[in-house]
Amino acid sequence: MKALVLDGSREGDSLTPVAVLGMTSALAGRVDTVELFKLRELAIAPCAGCFGCWTRTPGECVIEDGARDVLRSYVGSDIVAYVTPLTFGGYSSQLKKMLDRFIPLLDPRFTVVDGEVHHLLRYRRYPKTIGLGTLPSPDPEAERLFARLVARNGLNIHQTVESIVLTGVADPESARRSSEKFLDRAGVTA
Amino acid sequence: MNVLILTGSPKGRKSASFSLASKLAEGLRENDVSVSEEPVHAGLRTEEGTRRLLDAVDGSDLVVLVFPLYVDSLPAPLTRLLELVAERRTRVSSPGTPRLAAIVQCGFPESRQCDTAVGICRLFAERTGMRWAGSLAMGMGGSIGEDIRRLPGGGKNILDALKMTAESLATGGAIPVEATTLFAGPLMPIWLYTSIGNLGWRMQLRKNKSRRPLTYRPYSQG
Repeated sequence: MKALVLDGSREGDSLTPVAVLGMTSALAGRVDTVELFKLRELAIAPCAGCFGCWTRTPGECVIEDGARDVLRSYVGSDIVAYVTPLTFGGYSSQLKKMLDRFIPLLDPRFTVVDGEVHHLLRYRRYPKTIGLGTLPSPDPEAERLFARLVARNGLNIHQTVESIVLTGVADPESARRSSEKFLDRAGVTA
Repeated sequence: MNVLILTGSPKGRKSASFSLASKLAEGLRENDVSVSEEPVHAGLRTEEGTRRLLDAVDGSDLVVLVFPLYVDSLPAPLTRLLELVAERRTRVSSPGTPRLAAIVQCGFPESRQCDTAVGICRLFAERTGMRWAGSLAMGMGGSIGEDIRRLPGGGKNILDALKMTAESLATGGAIPVEATTLFAGPLMPIWLYTSIGNLGWRMQLRKNKSRRPLTYRPYSQG
């Protein structure tokens, strides 16, 4: 089993790196390999919105940059964790720059999922996705929005996706304990 | 009144967002409002462009975000701009209280798929001391292209909604519920939109003379 962790921390963000450590450690006890990408250290261009990944080079973005390594790792993973500071209830721009480049993972043709239109899947299987957000202090409205966003992202890959928000997490050990509980709840077992 | 329209599509002037933004700008100018339009992707490419965008936000009474839905939320560069605006507003002692509105379009048929993106914009406004002025959201954005008037029915509902929005925003009001409802209405039956879309992808693949099938899997799953 392989897990992929996408670290969406921003410059100067002290909470998310702690959450990444906790989640990585919790996953390490349940899978054979954990691969971590610190997205802010990768040169990843914004999606150009050209749909070349569907109509020129199907399955592959026309931009050759760090996103390709992440996509290759994603397709070969069993679990993927999005770790991000909550940004007005959404993802950080660092995580978002990668998620916007996930489009080639899908087949452009439409299908219906849970009563609304989404895209067909390109691959036979997709890693189980989980979302881990961080906040300096509780913010119920942002937390609700984040849970809804992560769940909606799950529909794109025809999955039920769960999320958790860690508030004021200060040490990796408490982040690991919270991550262990979350992984149990999400059904991520060794 | 100074209005800043920020377009969040990477496709610039060839985008549906630009078409919608231009129509809104036209309506606002007809109501004697000063409007500037800035593409976010291009602006953020340089430090000078980034500073110009942030200064433009600071100098505006109303900011309107116009963007395509990317993975259920805002495109990454627009998210980055919101982060930068928020950071700047915490550093300034009296950052002012401009209004913020959002216009979102998505390629899926259902306008409700834009709800999370609208929620993020509204929360951004609340958390940064801006005043929320409402939103417009539409599905079937893939059919807009560069000219709204080419839509079925001449795009009347979309154009009427933008006109109502411009009139209300120009007089200090919020986006009227009537405009939001009109804008969200389907442009054609869902089956027709998805059929045209499915055919369109194959036609574009053929036109581009791609050597790969539409279903190609470049990455191995072991």
